[in-house]
Amino acid sequence: MTFLDVIIRGLKRRPLRTGLTLLGISVGIAAVVALIGLSRGLVTSWTAGMRQRGTEIVVSNFRGSLTPKPFPAFTRDRIANLPGVAATCTILVDLMGIENAELMIVSGREWGCFAWENLKLVSGRMPNDQNEHAVVLGTNAADILKKKIGDTVQIETEELTVVGIANGGAFVENGSVILPLPLLQQITGNHDQISAIDVRVTPGMNDAGIRHLCDEMNKLIPEGHAEPAGEHIASSEGYRVINAMSWGTSLLAILVGVLGVTNTMLMSVFERKQEIAVLLALGWRPSRIVRMILWESALLGFLGGIIGVLLGIIGVQLLKMAPALRGMLEPDLRTNLMLEAIAIAVFVGVLSGLYPAWRSSRVAPSLALHG
Amino acid sequence: MNLTSSPSKAGAASRYVFEATGLIKDFDDGQVHALRGVDLQIEDGEFVAIVGPSGSGKTTLLQMLGALDRPSEGTLKYRGESLLDLPDPAAYRAHEIGFVFQAFHLLPTFTAIENVQIPMFEDHKSRAERQDRALELLKAVGLEERVNHYPAKLSGGERQRVAIARSLANSPSVLLADEPTGNLDSESANHVLDLLRSLHADRRMTLILVTHDMSIAACAQRAIQMKDGCAVFDGDPAKLSIHRIA
Repeated sequence: MTFLDVIIRGLKRRPLRTGLTLLGISVGIAAVVALIGLSRGLVTSWTAGMRQRGTEIVVSNFRGSLTPKPFPAFTRDRIANLPGVAATCTILVDLMGIENAELMIVSGREWGCFAWENLKLVSGRMPNDQNEHAVVLGTNAADILKKKIGDTVQIETEELTVVGIANGGAFVENGSVILPLPLLQQITGNHDQISAIDVRVTPGMNDAGIRHLCDEMNKLIPEGHAEPAGEHIASSEGYRVINAMSWGTSLLAILVGVLGVTNTMLMSVFERKQEIAVLLALGWRPSRIVRMILWESALLGFLGGIIGVLLGIIGVQLLKMAPALRGMLEPDLRTNLMLEAIAIAVFVGVLSGLYPAWRSSRVAPSLALHG
Repeated sequence: MNLTSSPSKAGAASRYVFEATGLIKDFDDGQVHALRGVDLQIEDGEFVAIVGPSGSGKTTLLQMLGALDRPSEGTLKYRGESLLDLPDPAAYRAHEIGFVFQAFHLLPTFTAIENVQIPMFEDHKSRAERQDRALELLKAVGLEERVNHYPAKLSGGERQRVAIARSLANSPSVLLADEPTGNLDSESANHVLDLLRSLHADRRMTLILVTHDMSIAACAQRAIQMKDGCAVFDGDPAKLSIHRIA
């Protein structure tokens, strides 16, 4: 028998209470995994989309919004000829309800620019020119909208023909409805407006060079902000709000877990007062009793963390299927997040055990000779 | 009975295991006087019965001897060293004292052999050493067939024998037993008493046993009778009944 056995038996003596406490913690941890996974997924999904398009710098205006605000298309002219800029592509992106889908990414791309190159046709063809009333659907978008080649898609008041279904190599790309820029500008009434400039830099430029180039661009374009691709999402106010709300909701759920573990461990200490006194009478030091209680609560946290991660993964899969999120982002459930969630759960366990452990250290050993 | 003999681990500066002078213990801010100036000396290897009615202070005295509580006034020495100045009372309880309780106090979610191992966690024994030692002790108390039984599956007498094995886990030199037969039928009580007596004889342990049963006290070498927090008799148990009548 090891000290760990003693700790495990302590938890097993009240299996129902232990189980309910585990459930309490695991719900909090599941919230962390699901919400933080989704919010981080927002960044990783969009970053992956940028990478697939070969975009290294994005000029956009994300102030106070999740989607970039439009700005004049001529802004591009001020940065296109800067040393280090290899190519630019103006884009107008919007989130719109399309037919039965509550929210879809609609991406209007400058005709002929590099942002079309990553689209590998699965079926059909590309639009013939920028004036054709046609769209290309990402593979996921086609599934969500239940469209095939030749069908029409209604965007706002316009009916556009699906001419191609393409694999864009990234979740966001595959979830998008893609059409020539002038067409989307016309449909949305954003004449001569864009929401992003994708920039490719000259081959071989390192991160420092890219940041320097961003600084140069930012001096020239007060209406937009140039940042390395992906960072523009993470630093946007919209993302910060989503992230803060995710953490806020998660922390509230975790707080409930903390109270649950504290209550359980406190009840356990009260119930085991005489047992603790007997252990003291048998020569256990108060510090060992404290360790026993803290390890019990840490183990509760650890197990709750593992269950919570599993619940979170299941929850995320369900959330992914929600109409509002379907095809828009891929949750980021990397090992780091799982480990962070389990570490939080163990911390929660230890934190919750502090007061009960302190109470256990106050038990008088003389109680062993009572009763 | 063949238990590994363990001489006292503490120094033998004094001929007495315990020396108490003017031991007073008050509770509830002095409203309750549990001990009212007890003086006693107990020699190494003695079998002493502390007798008296409920509330006479015998259990409180046992608590003081086991360093489970501190006296309000007076001095109390263990082998010449003050128990009140112990730097580590837990180490004293772990290595010098073995406790046997009236209600056994076995941990219900642990088997007999696991219960016996509990005190050994403070003795830096390896897992295998703890296991071997516990098995040895359970064999010594005649429970080798019951090592993997949980307390709920043991009779009262068997539980108390497990508790006695547990009390010997770290080879203490003093056994403090609080009404060890109080919860047992007469047959089991006799078994337990025989076990304690043989432990005392074979290991030359100091055995201090609290009881209100005069027939059990009669087995001791010496009886101390407590009444209203005072030791009113200290001597041959055979004379205890005469003293009571007187």
